[in-house]
Amino acid sequence: MSDAAHAHPGHHTHPTGIMRWLTTTNHKDIGTMYLWFALIMLFSAGSMALLIRTELFQPGLQLVHPDFFNQLTTMHGLIMIFGAIMPAFTGFANWQVPLMLGAPDMAFPRLNNWSFWLLPAAGLMLMSSFLLPGGAAAGGWTMYPPLFIQGGISYDLTILAVHIMGLSSIMGSINIITTILNMRAPGLTLMKMPMFCWTWLITAYLLIATMPVLAGAVTMLLTDRNFGTHFFNAAGGGDPVMFQHIFWFFGHPEVYILILPAFGIVSQIIPTFSRKPLFGYASMVYATASIAILSFIVWAHHMFAVGMPVAAQLFFMFSTMLIAVPTGVKVFNWVATMWKGSLTFETPMLFAIAFVCLFTIGGFSGLVLAMAPVDIQLQDTYYVVAHFHYVLVSGALFSIFAGIYYWLPKWTGHMYDERLGKLHFWLSVIGMNIVFFPMHFLGLAGMPRRIPDYALQFTEFNQIATVGAFIFGFSQLIFLTVVLKTIRGGAKAPARVWEGAEGLEWTVPSPAPYHTFEVAPVLSK
Amino acid sequence: MEQVNTESLSRESSGAFVFQSRPNCSQTHAQERLAFRGLAALCLGTAIGFAGMGYWLVLPFEGLVIGLLIWARAVRHGHESDYESLTIEGDMVVLEWRMGNQSGHRQMNRQWVRVACDCTVPGRSCRLCVSSHGRETEVGHYLSDEARLQLAATLRSKLQA
Repeated sequence: MSDAAHAHPGHHTHPTGIMRWLTTTNHKDIGTMYLWFALIMLFSAGSMALLIRTELFQPGLQLVHPDFFNQLTTMHGLIMIFGAIMPAFTGFANWQVPLMLGAPDMAFPRLNNWSFWLLPAAGLMLMSSFLLPGGAAAGGWTMYPPLFIQGGISYDLTILAVHIMGLSSIMGSINIITTILNMRAPGLTLMKMPMFCWTWLITAYLLIATMPVLAGAVTMLLTDRNFGTHFFNAAGGGDPVMFQHIFWFFGHPEVYILILPAFGIVSQIIPTFSRKPLFGYASMVYATASIAILSFIVWAHHMFAVGMPVAAQLFFMFSTMLIAVPTGVKVFNWVATMWKGSLTFETPMLFAIAFVCLFTIGGFSGLVLAMAPVDIQLQDTYYVVAHFHYVLVSGALFSIFAGIYYWLPKWTGHMYDERLGKLHFWLSVIGMNIVFFPMHFLGLAGMPRRIPDYALQFTEFNQIATVGAFIFGFSQLIFLTVVLKTIRGGAKAPARVWEGAEGLEWTVPSPAPYHTFEVAPVLSK
Repeated sequence: MEQVNTESLSRESSGAFVFQSRPNCSQTHAQERLAFRGLAALCLGTAIGFAGMGYWLVLPFEGLVIGLLIWARAVRHGHESDYESLTIEGDMVVLEWRMGNQSGHRQMNRQWVRVACDCTVPGRSCRLCVSSHGRETEVGHYLSDEARLQLAATLRSKLQA
């Protein structure tokens, strides 16, 4: 209550046109912007992947200069991770966390606006670095010295872009933690929260713990490059291997930052289409927390080939294998949720089931790579590429597709085209497996990653992978068509879009009104 | 700055009508302290670990994060005692509010109080004000449009009674 002169600014009216999007503090608007930004970045980095695969269709150099090839692999990785997957999950968090908690918005709406608007600036920096003298950074997404110390101006720009994206993530995380801890509806205790909120809460903790470490590491790279320090410069007594340790102290939890929200999305979808509550909710929460904690003590499994004492190798090998336990608990619980359920197979469920099956393959190849003696053989081969794409494409990306199909009717008020959705699913699953499954064989046969040319014996599998890449890549245009079609019209979606859906987000009308839960709902059970 | 969720209460108490509304807060002080200290310790521990090995440039970034956490905590504390209340008792209408570091108290004669609820679209984007002697005061910040319209109707009937 206040005098009119001191009323809440913008509470009752909100600007329209471009100013709506620039100045918005509404969690739904910001969530939408995150998701569109992620889609644009997905298509940009996906186009780079298609260029890479085109070059690799035949042995020999045919399409791009080797240095440009390295720029493509570097930017593909950086943009997919920091520009596509992470912002997409943040978009989901913005849309869904307040709706799931019965909160009117995020805890710090203006901070939320800033968190988002930092991203396009950083994305533009990364993309525009191709236009700089010497082209974009080509040292790999891991930014290892000495390559990253020796490059041109685009390397500085890349470091700045990583800083900005990190700042955006930290601000977003503080917002999410405060929202989840402080703005739950009365009666919604932590152990009653939807799994998606739990996985994001833990992800936000991971981000806060690791992002400053990455920021420090790349700043030390920057000072090595420009101010004569020698943190990682061996010529001046620095230790380039230490960069790898610091990087992977961030980098391995980052893998879980990219996959825990995916676990959350799948944990919402599977119970809905199984028409059963999630099996072992508490064990899911504890498994998520265990994965997050273990992610801090496994980083050196990325560095077995660098050389380390046998005791350290054993420690990192066994600690990495230990992660399979809570991950196994999760897979078991998803399967147990489906067991004897009244299953239907709408597009979100299809993507969720594909996630469970294919992510498990990625997990198993991860176990193979966790074994130090095997890893030393497979390090920097296509086996590693196959492994992390099974985790991040059929894991993170498929869960994003699943989540979008699941909540799109709630966001737009229209049902999507199920026929096109299923076509998108089948082409994606088939395409994805054609691209990445042969890479296991290429890696086992010894084909190294990050090279534009290869020995003749690898030709057939590379050609198969390239054909799969084009199927997978172009099938994403179907996804874009589905999204645009759903926004423009379609069958009217009810408030509870899916028969088996549970949770506060399904109590508001579809599309979700601009302001929701201004009065906190009280949960009776 | 802080977006808040509402707990509101309307009741009749010994002939007086009382409306109270305050932001919803699901975290106790102890839980909030634990969350803040846990995060700060995590950041500080990481920073000290790397700084001890000579990689001290991690320190300012961890400091920045701790700074952001302190800011977030301060904003939360600034709004934890936000409330608004409206009491109609006898010939008096009493408004009290606190919003961040702003607070206020206003007494009006019941006979001169007017209730206005303007919506930009019917039933949506509504603004509820009580006015008297040419001065308007907004009420129901933490309410939904529906609840604001309902409160407006209740206030009108109570003021006419």
